[in-house]
Amino acid sequence: MIRCGYCGYEFSEEEGIRGCGKCGKPGGCRMVRCPRCFYENLPEPGTVKKMKKLLEKLK
Amino acid sequence: MAIFKKKPSCHGPVTGPAIKGKKVALVGNPNVGKSVLFNALTGAYVAVSNYPGTSVEVSRGSSTIDGQPCEIIDTPGMYSILPITEEERVAREILLNERPDVVLHVLDARNLERMLTMTIQLVEAGLPVILVVNIMDEAERMGLEIDIPLLREKLGIPVIGAATAKKRGLAEIRQAIAGYEEGRQAVFGYSRRLEGDIVTIAELLQGEYTLSRKSLALLLLQRDEEIARLVAVQEGERGAFVAERVKEKIFERRESFHLDLSLERKEIVKGLLAGVIRTPAQRRVTFGERLSRWAVNPLTGAPLLIVVLYYGLYEFVGVFGAGTLVDLLEGKLFEGWFNPWISGVVKSIIPWEIIQELFVGEYGVITLGLRYAVGIILPIVATFFLFFSVLEDSGYFPRLALLVDRLFKKVGLTGRAVIPMVLGFGCDTMATMVTRTLETVRERVIATVLLALAIPCSAQLGVILALLSKTPGALLVWSLCLLAIFLLIGLLAAKIMPGETPMFYMELPPMRLPQLSNVLTKTYTRMQWYFMEILPLFILASVLLWLGKVTHFFERLVDWMAPVMAAVGLPREAAVAFIFGFFRRDYGAAGLYDLQKKGLMDPRQLVVAAVTLTLFVPCVAQFLMMKKERGTKAALGIGLFVSLVAFASGWLLNRFLLTTGVL
Ligand SMILES: [Zn+2]
Repeated sequence: MIRCGYCGYEFSEEEGIRGCGKCGKPGGCRMVRCPRCFYENLPEPGTVKKMKKLLEKLK
Repeated sequence: MAIFKKKPSCHGPVTGPAIKGKKVALVGNPNVGKSVLFNALTGAYVAVSNYPGTSVEVSRGSSTIDGQPCEIIDTPGMYSILPITEEERVAREILLNERPDVVLHVLDARNLERMLTMTIQLVEAGLPVILVVNIMDEAERMGLEIDIPLLREKLGIPVIGAATAKKRGLAEIRQAIAGYEEGRQAVFGYSRRLEGDIVTIAELLQGEYTLSRKSLALLLLQRDEEIARLVAVQEGERGAFVAERVKEKIFERRESFHLDLSLERKEIVKGLLAGVIRTPAQRRVTFGERLSRWAVNPLTGAPLLIVVLYYGLYEFVGVFGAGTLVDLLEGKLFEGWFNPWISGVVKSIIPWEIIQELFVGEYGVITLGLRYAVGIILPIVATFFLFFSVLEDSGYFPRLALLVDRLFKKVGLTGRAVIPMVLGFGCDTMATMVTRTLETVRERVIATVLLALAIPCSAQLGVILALLSKTPGALLVWSLCLLAIFLLIGLLAAKIMPGETPMFYMELPPMRLPQLSNVLTKTYTRMQWYFMEILPLFILASVLLWLGKVTHFFERLVDWMAPVMAAVGLPREAAVAFIFGFFRRDYGAAGLYDLQKKGLMDPRQLVVAAVTLTLFVPCVAQFLMMKKERGTKAALGIGLFVSLVAFASGWLLNRFLLTTGVL
């Protein structure tokens, strides 16, 4: 889950509006837009996601 | 899908096998357990399909309640009956078009106060509402006591306490659906002024509507375009007259309508909850809540902002990041140790001087590009991103938006433009792209101009803070200049560009103590991306500069710019920083840093250079983004305008400082 840094809305990465690829950054920007206020949020880093999965498996 | 093709009709004899069932719509915020309730109510026949003409998914299922067939619709999450997102729009469409027999409003018992606002709106709209206060178990665990019967009495609608995840309350919900009869609902009174406005508009409406006239009047006054269209159709010839009256009313109260309405609704909710909710005794107004109130009140908010900027930007980013850390990395590590060592190595391996220059010369890939990137820019963006992430995680930004809304309105923007402006302090390119989230084209253009002109990006800001913090007064002059130009150009732009400023209001999420893990991961991710992005650019720029040097094109460029530099009162060498600045803003600022270290500029020249460079043409990336967002013509126009303003301001400032002798 991503907690929007602007409006505080919590949403899953799939629900967010993904990278535009138009901002001219190498590889496009990987930001996730909040579906409620359009603020650009960072996606959860891969390592954190992996850790969470690992924890879930351990449970 | 075909199972649901039937349309329940109450007119004429029921023909064929069509079942006359109740239609039940589930509405509510996301994350309140709507889907769990939906699954509990519906059996195996669930159809998920896109709502016509949208990308929003809507689930429909069937159920038999008390022997009666029912269709259950799970609507997308909504926060208010006034839609902002596509999801909310679809949710309201369903309420409008499908005319459900029962609307189940599901909310979170832990956030009753926040979510009841929508219940009020639904009841006010005359919809057949049953309220499900969900997640009661968690609320009880927190020590909250909710008097459901009292709330039922006050609202005049069925209210059920539930914990659907634990199957608690399901039977009562089914019972309530089966036995639902439209009865007396509570009427919520607003202030006399607001009621007056509502009545004025409501009395004009004569068409047939699903929603109550009161609710329609409020939506019209909130400039709901869909409702305006609906009313235009329903009222036919009278439509234009109604629209005119609505416009007049909106104009009368253009400043504060959203805010007033929202505050009044909060008051109503407070009244509803009096005696209904008992919180554990030790719950007092938290520090976060108090801080939140200070942050949005202009009297306390402005000093608070200054404190935040002083300690966050000046002390932490400027003095610590751009001062201490840069001295350490750039001065000690690169200049003192790494550069002499790598120069020796390269010179011993490569015999040709021209190739040596490419790597370790004046504009060498390693001695300039890498040194700037790692030694100067890295510590600055690291501290800036850390500061930014702390603010972001604490929930300060939306408060900042409310605080500056009034000021921003003067320059043709609304508080919403705080997002691109704040992002601009990170990277103007990213921020320019985000201007597309602003409501009107006018706002977008003004924001783009202001970003290109007066908002320095993080690295540029850091270097400039580092430069100027060494000369007292210089920083003040620089800040005042930028603020003045921001306001002046904003005011002018707002005057020249036709159109009115849209309204802005947002619901505030709670403030909280930033979580260290969050802040650190965010900072790390941002830095990683930033660095991956700039390193190749810095190296490319170094190569181009080297090419410029070996072909002597660079010298000629500096020669050409010399008269301009002289006019602004800067040494000839300052042209180098401006050329750097065109590649990247931060690169140019780092160039200035170098010039100052060599002792080439006095405080006056430093300020003039810093102001001119901050205002000066955005970097290539930002320029390309402007072109993408606003079109070639506009981008060229803005670029030219910004350069002119930059040098004109530099010239004026230099004159001013020379005659007054302030610095
Ligand atoms: Zn958001």
